[in-house]
Parts: sequence; C-alpha cells; structure tokens
Amino acid sequence: MKKPDSLSVLVFIRSWGITILLIALWALFASTSPIFGTFENASLILGAASISAIFAASIAMGVFSGALDLSVPGTAAVAGIILGKLIGGGFDPFLSIAIAVAIGALIGYANGLIVQTGLNPLAVTIGMLSVTSGLAAILSDGIPLFDKMDTLGWLGTEIYFGLPSTFYVVIVVFAIGTIFLTKTRGGIRFLAAGGNAEALRRAGVNANTYRLLGFILSGALAALGGVVTCAYTAQATPTAATGVLFDGLTAVALSGISLAGGRGSLPKVLVGALVISTIGSGLLIMNIQPYWTITITGLLLISALAGEHYLGKAVARQAVGKSKVSAHKEAK
Amino acid sequence: MSEQKSVALDLEGIELHYGYVKALDGINFKVNQGEAVALLGDNGAGKSTLLKLMSGVHKQTRGTIRVHGEEVHFHAPKDSANAGIEMVYQDLALVDALDSATNLLLGREILRKGPLGWLGFVDRKKMIAEANAETELLGVKIANLTRPVEMLSGGQRQGVALARAAVRVNGKPNGILLLDEPTAALGYEQKVMVEGLIKRLAAAGIAVVVVTHDLPLAFNATSRMVVLNRGRKVCDVQTTETTYEKIVGYITGALPAQEGI
Ligand SMILES: Nc1ncnc2c1ncn2[C@@H]1O[C@H](COP(=O)(O)OP(=O)(O)OP(=O)(O)O)[C@@H](O)[C@H]1O
Ligand SMILES: [Mg+2]
Repeated sequence: MKKPDSLSVLVFIRSWGITILLIALWALFASTSPIFGTFENASLILGAASISAIFAASIAMGVFSGALDLSVPGTAAVAGIILGKLIGGGFDPFLSIAIAVAIGALIGYANGLIVQTGLNPLAVTIGMLSVTSGLAAILSDGIPLFDKMDTLGWLGTEIYFGLPSTFYVVIVVFAIGTIFLTKTRGGIRFLAAGGNAEALRRAGVNANTYRLLGFILSGALAALGGVVTCAYTAQATPTAATGVLFDGLTAVALSGISLAGGRGSLPKVLVGALVISTIGSGLLIMNIQPYWTITITGLLLISALAGEHYLGKAVARQAVGKSKVSAHKEAK
Repeated sequence: MSEQKSVALDLEGIELHYGYVKALDGINFKVNQGEAVALLGDNGAGKSTLLKLMSGVHKQTRGTIRVHGEEVHFHAPKDSANAGIEMVYQDLALVDALDSATNLLLGREILRKGPLGWLGFVDRKKMIAEANAETELLGVKIANLTRPVEMLSGGQRQGVALARAAVRVNGKPNGILLLDEPTAALGYEQKVMVEGLIKRLAAAGIAVVVVTHDLPLAFNATSRMVVLNRGRKVCDVQTTETTYEKIVGYITGALPAQEGI
C-alpha cells in the first residue's frame, strides 16, 4: 500500500469499487447459471432494483443534507394507502399520485420542523415511523386495498422497449436529482448544509432552509416509492415495509457515501441498489434460501461502512502528503 | 494611507463574565478605518473573547460597542456580518467536500446566463475564474482552486478561510476584518503573504484587528498594538513607538500597565 502511486489506487477503489463489485457479481452469477445472463433476467433485476433505488434515493437525499430519515417506510405506507383510497374512489390517477407524493413531502416537512427545534433526528423520525405506520393502518382498517389498483399497471408492471416501467421512473428521479446536486446553486448549498451548516450560515445563507429541504425531498421520494410499490403489486398495503429502509441504507453505504452527510452521488447509489437486487436475484436463481439475501445485505452494509472508513482515512493521509508537495512546487 | 480616519469599531468599558470567571475587565478598544491593530497577550488573556464580542458570538456583561459611531447589539454572527464585519475563526468554518473556489464563493455563487440560470444552474468556469481573479487581486495564493478543501493541508485551508473573509470585506468602503491567529498553521512564505494582505487591506481603508502570538507579524503588518493581561488592557501604543522587549514585558506582566489606560 505504500507504493508511490498508492493515492491514485486508493482514489480509484473509492470511486469505482462499487461498480467493479457489480460487474464481478454479474460475472459470477452468469458463470454459474445460463438463465442469469439473459436479457429477460436483467430486465427482472432492473424491475426489482428500481423500487429499492427510489427508496435509496429517498434515504440518500436525507443523508446528503445531514439527516438520516428513518420514517421512510411509514411515509411510503401512508402515501400508498391514500393512493389506494383515491384510486378506489375513482379519482384521476395523476392527481392521486400527485396528492400522495405531496403528503409525503408534508410528512418530511413536519419531520424537519420538529428536528429544527433541536431534537435528535433519529429519534424524531423513528417516532414519525410509528405515527405514519399507525395512520396507514387506521386509514385502511388494517387491510390491503385492491380496488382498481390494477389500473396502475402502466406505472408498475408494463414493459416499454424491453425495460420495466419502474425503471423509467428511476431514470427521471436520478437524472433530475443528479443535475440538482451537481449543477445548481441549490445543490451546492444543499450539500454544504449537510457538510458544515455553520460554514453555510456564516456565508450568509439560511442553512435551515436547506436542511428542511432534505427532509421534504426524503419524504416526497419515500411517498413516490410507496406509489410505485402499489403500482407494481397492484395493491396498497398498510404495513410499513422496514426492509426498504435497510436496502436503501445499504445502497447508500455501498456507494461509499459518508453517512455523516455533506457529500453524495446519486448514480453511485443506483449502482448500490443494483448490487443488492443482483445478489437477491442471483441467490434465487442458484436456489439458495432467500433468507440468505437478508443476511448478506446486512454483511454488505457493515463491510461497506468499514471499507469507507478505512479508505477515507487512507486517502486523507496520502492526499495531505501530496498536496504539500504540489503547493511547494507552485510557490516557486 | 487614507488621511481622514473615521472610527470603525469603538468598545467602551467592556466587561464580560463567563459565569463567575471575569474574562474581560474594563476594556476600551478602538480601531479606525484603514488601520491594522494587533491584539496581543498570553494564553487566556482574553483576546479571542474580545474578538468574539466584536463579531457577535458573545455578548458583553457591561459596556457599549459602537460600529461607525452607532451603538450596536449583536445577537448572532450574522448581525455583525450585516454591519460589515468579517471574522476568520480559529476553527475556519470551511465545507470539507467542496473545493476552494466554491468555498470562497459560497453564498454568492455565480449562475449561468439565460433560462438555465433561472433554474439555478451555476457557471463553474466563471466561478473558478472569479475565485482566481479575487485571490489574485488580494495577492493570496491558493494551491488548487478545484480540489476539495479536505484534501488541503492545514496551512492551505487557513489560506482559503482567510481569502474568503478578505474577499468579502474587500471593496466594502467601511469593511472591518477580524482575524484570530491567522498564521498559526502557516509556513514562512504564507506568513509573508498574510502580512502583505493585512497591509494592503488596511491601505485600502479596511479596519483590521489581528489576534496573534506572532510578534514579528504584529510588528511587520500593524500600525498599533494593544496588549491584554488577564482580561485587562495593559498597553496601547503605536507600533513605531515601542520595542519588541517592551511588548514582551507587557505580555508577561514584567512591565506594569501603562499610565492612564
Ligand atoms: N466558553 C468559555 N467558558 C468559560 N470560560 C471561558 C470560555 N472561553 C474562554 N474562557 C476563559 O476566558 C479567559 C479568556 O479566554 P480567551 O479564549 O479569550 O483567551 P485568549 O487570549 O484568546 O487565549 P489564547 O491565546 O490561548 O487563544 C480564559 O481564562 C478562559 O479560560
Ligand atoms: Mg484565542
């Protein structure tokens, strides 16, 4: 590790490790099963990955802005039930979806306002998880809603040009999100609020606005995840699926993004979500008990955090050494 | 040097208690536009505390603060910023993941022209060019404007923080710049750069207060020196009218406080 170019090796692993892992997994599974490498299976994996990816984006936006939002599954459940009620009641589908997503944003806004009074975000969002899960069950009397839900097939199960409809939702969400984060003033301040809110404040910017925005986006995306789940399964379930929380968190951690906030790349989160779905699908095809997927996801989460911890430290150490050298050269 | 000097900051009869601890006791302190003042003293003498009063981080227990002749009551750093006061804190306040150029321009990012600009798209090229121009104008050298500041050395980070405050205060007709140990992590070359920067800003009409333990810096860059000892002002002299030995004497307490201070 102490070779002269070890910094570039470390930086390379840090930026491409997750993509390499994905390719390695594909190669591994494709070599053990002829079905795995087919276009149909790839499309299936994409379909499964898409829903996780939307939830991952929801969690990622929170993390980037400096807050881990644990209420995501509850928000998704409430949004789903409200969608189910509206669709069942014969409402226009687009309007219903818009209302469901807006309610998600509102729940996020409430989270943000409560956290800004100085309470711990983890505790607040866990509380909100209970509140929203309970609400979803109350609204639906605890039973799933099926009425007219199959009319959402265009959003959930249709295949366009060989790719599942849900994947198009992902493309739109991730493209807009990435442009926002990397190209706009709002994105810069959004990330700065997660990295060092005090610095943003001293620069004369209202940092609280951007932290609030993190919760709002997280809530809206969680609701969108709930909507797409309903469309995919053709039903609205009142139970909060906490699994999406762990998958989403693992996708974020796999992408090498510090959970401390202030930095982030949505494309990497997408690759992280693909890794998780690939493992799920690969194990299924290899006839391995599905419970292993859960265990492996947990192991992935831990090793991703450990890897990022080690790599981050190593890069920082090496980079400071290098920067001194280059500054000296420039001064001459 | 501007001849007609207006008072930028005027502190009178300042007292500050941290609980039972009296950190500042009866301090009178003035700085004019176009003047660089060194604030000296041993560890714990009260220098940072006094500076934090001027920047709105703390509030005095007794006494008045006037900015440009008007009494002010700062409740937060942004109040002092609104009054034209910029401070470089010992803890720097940079956003690690952002590069130097963006850190410099945080809060006043440059947007693209046309519809993309209305949507809030930033113009990266222009931002880097602007950061380059501003730092050049100040004679501040920043290692690499496009590298995240977390990958800079301590001294380079300090350079960025200093440049940011200097850029913000530069060009304001009544700007006030407060520096808390700006050269603590700097090497020789960068220290010379900071000296030059302080002198140039003062010559441009900015009022500068520098807290420092670096006496050569104080002698080279400032025109007046104020020494604190255990929360009291013990010396207030023109730099040209004192010596290194005397200043050390006031700092350590070997010399008694000046008469009538
Ligand atoms: N937040 C605080 N709470 C209580 N006491 C404090 C606090 N900050 C400073 N003090 C005390 O006030 C006195 C002055 O501290 P100050 O930080 O102003 O010193 P300084 O002159 O800046 O020292 P240094 O050169 O070490 O930075 C010290 O006795 C210190 O212990
Ligand atoms: Mg101090």
